[in-house]
Amino acid sequence: MKVKLWGTRGSIPSPGPETIRYGGNTSCVGVTLSDGSLLALDAGSGIRSLGLDLGDEPTRLHILLTHLHLDHILGLAFFAPVFRPQTEIVIWGPASPEASLRDRIARYISAPLSPVEVRELPCDVSFRHCPETEWEIGPARIRTASVAHRGPTLGYRIDDGDSSLTYIPDHEPGLGADLDRLEDDWISGFALARETSLLIHDGQYTDSEYPNHIGWGHSPLRDALAFARRTGAERTVLFHHDPMHSDDFLDRFSVEAKERWAALGGDPAAIELAAERVEYELPVRAPRAVTPA
Amino acid sequence: MTQRPLELILARNLMSALSTPAFLVDEGGVLVFYNEAAGMMLGKRFEELGTVGADEWGALFGPFDDSGEPIPYDDLPLVSAVRDGRPAHAEYVIHSSDGAAHAVEVSAFPILTAHGSQGGIAIFWPTQANGDGTASA
Repeated sequence: MKVKLWGTRGSIPSPGPETIRYGGNTSCVGVTLSDGSLLALDAGSGIRSLGLDLGDEPTRLHILLTHLHLDHILGLAFFAPVFRPQTEIVIWGPASPEASLRDRIARYISAPLSPVEVRELPCDVSFRHCPETEWEIGPARIRTASVAHRGPTLGYRIDDGDSSLTYIPDHEPGLGADLDRLEDDWISGFALARETSLLIHDGQYTDSEYPNHIGWGHSPLRDALAFARRTGAERTVLFHHDPMHSDDFLDRFSVEAKERWAALGGDPAAIELAAERVEYELPVRAPRAVTPA
Repeated sequence: MTQRPLELILARNLMSALSTPAFLVDEGGVLVFYNEAAGMMLGKRFEELGTVGADEWGALFGPFDDSGEPIPYDDLPLVSAVRDGRPAHAEYVIHSSDGAAHAVEVSAFPILTAHGSQGGIAIFWPTQANGDGTASA
């Protein structure tokens, strides 16, 4: 399984000279399964770059949406494969009692917010609510769970062979709780992340920023580290960077994360901040920077 | 291992912050959490007791009606709320671990989600008549 980060930023695209190294695009992770099947985790602005990278391939892919906040879907209408008639795209996402997944996405891909409507997309696109039980895409088993964020939000676990990827980009598991004291099954997202090969997890705030953002659905470093430690993730990538955090800020944040991870007994090399276009090959442990953003 | 339903996790986190006694059961009626205030009322913290099966937890506080008769488990507000999918309310007398009687009002409501019922919450209030909830009889 290959994993490539195409958008690591939270909330809003943040391009500029101060976000070149970690990237300014919002959430999108490309996953190539062992049989070559392609998944896109979320469709933030980073999915535009993924689409350009694909060229005319593949003809079939799955987009797995954690939730429908704009920073996770705003790239959909700019994803080149949706404009190719030969492409078949399956979009998975959380169910809501309010409206179907298609109708909720269509609120964005419709006038006046978009020049095209969902029904006008040339590709063969279908929308599916994620089942409560495990299902398969190619050789991979996909599992979801509702996680603590604002509105219906899922985390994903993708198991392919002996390796697994857990993706919980927007997550506040410590809201009203001490993660060091809760039993495992009372921790939001725990079962998804348990002993996973690679955990991509919300790490938006510093501990000092968090008190002004309690309940916004994102984690301070303290809780991201506690979650990673409790779940026994082999490698953790802190994701969904705050748009106000510059590269220099994130460099310092990275040092702090590694130091605190080491203080918890972890290997500093096993935790890092997400950077756009960095690629991971599972189960190979060491990350490989392919093309600096 | 599976995660508890998120709605139960969030309910527990909220209840942990309340100073009002509150109880949480899952969709099977198992008592899966009560908060510190409820623990003070019962004389035993949840961490000491752990989960308690359906049909068993009612005996923790032995609710009695005005005439001193035990209230059947099936008639408890929390049980009917989960069973019927509707809120329920009642007044009764409970006994804490030190034997003191407390008159309380109990409001219970089901936790209904897109995936069906996930359990229920009951909140205990001292009756207005007695102020501190101490029963007169």
